[in-house]
Amino acid sequence: MRTALGAFEMHFCIRYLFYLYIMHKSSIFIVLLLLLFSSCKQYTEFIKSDVTYYVDDDKPQNFLGQSTDSIFKVIIDVELLKRENISSPLGIQVTGFGAFDVYWDGVFVGRNGKMVKSGQAEIPGTEMTYYQIPEKLANLGKHTVTVIGTQVYLRESQRGMKVKLESFLRLHRAPLVVMSFMNLMAGAFLIASIYYFFLYINSTRKEATVLLFGIICLLFFCLLIVEYVKFYIDIPYTHFYTRLQIVGLLTFIISILVPWYFMLQFDFKRKQLFLFLLIASLITIYIVYYGEYDRTAIYFSYAMCIVSFIVAIDAAFRKIKGGLIVVIGLLVSVIVNKYIFYDFGLFIAFTIIVLLMLYLHTIRAKALEEAHNASLLLSSRLQLELVKKNIQPHFLRNTLTSLIDWIEESPQQGVVFIRALADEFDIMNSIAEDTLIPIQQEIELCRKHLEVMSFRKEVCYNWEEKNIDANEEIPPAVIHTIIENGITHSLPPKQGCITFSLSFNREKQYKQYTLFTIAKNRNRKRENSNGTGFKYIKARLNENYGSNWEFDSFAVEEGWCTTIKIFAKK
Amino acid sequence: MKILIIEDEARIAKRIERMTRDFFDKEVQILLSDSVENGLNTIEKQSIDLLLLDLNLNGEDGFEVLQTVVAKSFQTIIISAYTDKAILAFHYGVLDFVPKPFDANRLAQAFTRFTTPEKTNGQDIQFLAVKKGKTIKLITIKDIRYIKGAGIYTELHLANGHVELHDKSMESLEKLLPAEFERIHKSYILCWQEADKLIVETGGKYNILLKNGELLPVGRSKYKEIRPKLI
Repeated sequence: MRTALGAFEMHFCIRYLFYLYIMHKSSIFIVLLLLLFSSCKQYTEFIKSDVTYYVDDDKPQNFLGQSTDSIFKVIIDVELLKRENISSPLGIQVTGFGAFDVYWDGVFVGRNGKMVKSGQAEIPGTEMTYYQIPEKLANLGKHTVTVIGTQVYLRESQRGMKVKLESFLRLHRAPLVVMSFMNLMAGAFLIASIYYFFLYINSTRKEATVLLFGIICLLFFCLLIVEYVKFYIDIPYTHFYTRLQIVGLLTFIISILVPWYFMLQFDFKRKQLFLFLLIASLITIYIVYYGEYDRTAIYFSYAMCIVSFIVAIDAAFRKIKGGLIVVIGLLVSVIVNKYIFYDFGLFIAFTIIVLLMLYLHTIRAKALEEAHNASLLLSSRLQLELVKKNIQPHFLRNTLTSLIDWIEESPQQGVVFIRALADEFDIMNSIAEDTLIPIQQEIELCRKHLEVMSFRKEVCYNWEEKNIDANEEIPPAVIHTIIENGITHSLPPKQGCITFSLSFNREKQYKQYTLFTIAKNRNRKRENSNGTGFKYIKARLNENYGSNWEFDSFAVEEGWCTTIKIFAKK
Repeated sequence: MKILIIEDEARIAKRIERMTRDFFDKEVQILLSDSVENGLNTIEKQSIDLLLLDLNLNGEDGFEVLQTVVAKSFQTIIISAYTDKAILAFHYGVLDFVPKPFDANRLAQAFTRFTTPEKTNGQDIQFLAVKKGKTIKLITIKDIRYIKGAGIYTELHLANGHVELHDKSMESLEKLLPAEFERIHKSYILCWQEADKLIVETGGKYNILLKNGELLPVGRSKYKEIRPKLI
């Protein structure tokens, strides 16, 4: 019973965590990375050595023989000064190219690859290897490390041979500790990149920044993995530079993408110029420092930082949200890189930058959300506007006043009036929640409105239509609004009727509704082409067609002409 | 008597006209206007006694018109659908606000207010509009110390010592002003807050001493009404 409950609780907890993760992805991400930064302190303490020794570094240079298969012998003198933890065996780390055997005081302690032998090709060893020193030979005092081997490939690189003494346990554990942090970081970036790719695929907007951010996260993940892959894969020394080249390439691309991202996010004015300058300087760095992989990577990141700084400072001056934060963040990453973390400062700096980008992204997402909410709000406001048309006091109370009069004077006509009013209300009610309605329904609404108004104004209103396509749709009450304006701004004729004539025509690029109001215009005091009525029409057109429409309203000889042009989607 | 109706809805205009005719019998001359522009032209050309005004005419805001017309000598009754504007209209100094839809009784009530000479209390007026050249200036009622009749005009004596001319007659203003304004003489309307004490002079002359030291005459017939209020 207990265990079952426990299992359920566990399940629930995991689920809760999962929800938390999904909902507050970015904040969890930040907390995770902050934890990571704080753990780095432990790392520096951990790498403090157990063993104190002296090594004569100058000696082993140019030890390779004349021919490719000649055997080299490097003798390095070390003096073991102090061992703090005797219980852990002493280990030795050898870094160098080639395939070789390692001897400690003449005793064989290990082999890296396989030397050239007659008839057998060299099996290349890996660049960094660890060996355990037998305890009986690990006493304090002077010792000799002898490395005997061959180096068939990459002879021109002249890497030299280096040794380092350390407790054997620590030699193995140190990379693990680094790896654990780096893998953690890499995992976070992998998840982020996948998330942003999905976001890009499933969003209707297809924002370049989302894709870009996904790519940057993925590249960053790759960079971390490639950088530390050496700890769990024995890379033959012949491919030692391949890894560095990949790291260089990744750094190169990231150094372009990060400033580009900031440019897009901050809407930077001189994108092309600065991107060109950036790429040019990156290439220059690559050429000038060819072969110096670490330095190239660092200079790449400097170039990236400088351009990002320019973009961010520009944004801060233009008072763009997030601009100042990015400037501060970049400063922090520079300081971190320079003073605090000496070993993988570059990665910490990158991480801070990616965090900044993530932060910008949340700002952007918030802005989009707000825009979306605003559009929803606008839609419901337009709905309300539509509903209000018939209950606003000017319409309702004037209609009711006329209606009372009709009923008092001529009850039969009054009933006809009530019917027309009821019909107009019915149509209004049925279209209130739609954003597009069939044109016939709109025309019906207009006819009913004209009937109601003819009772009120005691003016004869005529309706004509030409070439109407019954399959077409139009935002609700748009023509109705134009007619309302037409009624208001037309002088009642001494004889005859006011005619409203709606026509439709379709061209290749657009379709157009034209409404003529054939009547004498009243003198308008002000030219109010932006009155509430027109605002409603424009907002409705915006809601349905984006910017692919044109609305025009102007006086013509016969009266007034209003046109609505709807373009085929661009 | 001339009455102008400014109303853009033919049916409603006819209804108002019919009811007005019924109330005033045959003695009345009714002018109809379906737009602000025509209405204002009529006002310029002819002197009218009463204006019946709709506030929203052909999409134009009637308050601009209202400011202009309340500065004139005639009284104004608003007949409008915008009941929420009633209070504002009273602030500007209209005689009544008849909300649409209306019936003959409600309109008759407004007309009664126009025809009866007595002051109808409970007015909400806050401004008096006066013409200044071509513009209209709004005078806050609180700033008025007393009003003096001057022929067909009236003089508004203000707290800051200025005097403004108003086109409305003493009788018209008396109907519009709030309760603290009292007719103390055929040529004077006084705001009670300004009165200090009643002074009886030899020869049966009565004066009111104002707080600022000015003396205003009190009509013999008004003395009996006023005396208990000041003691």
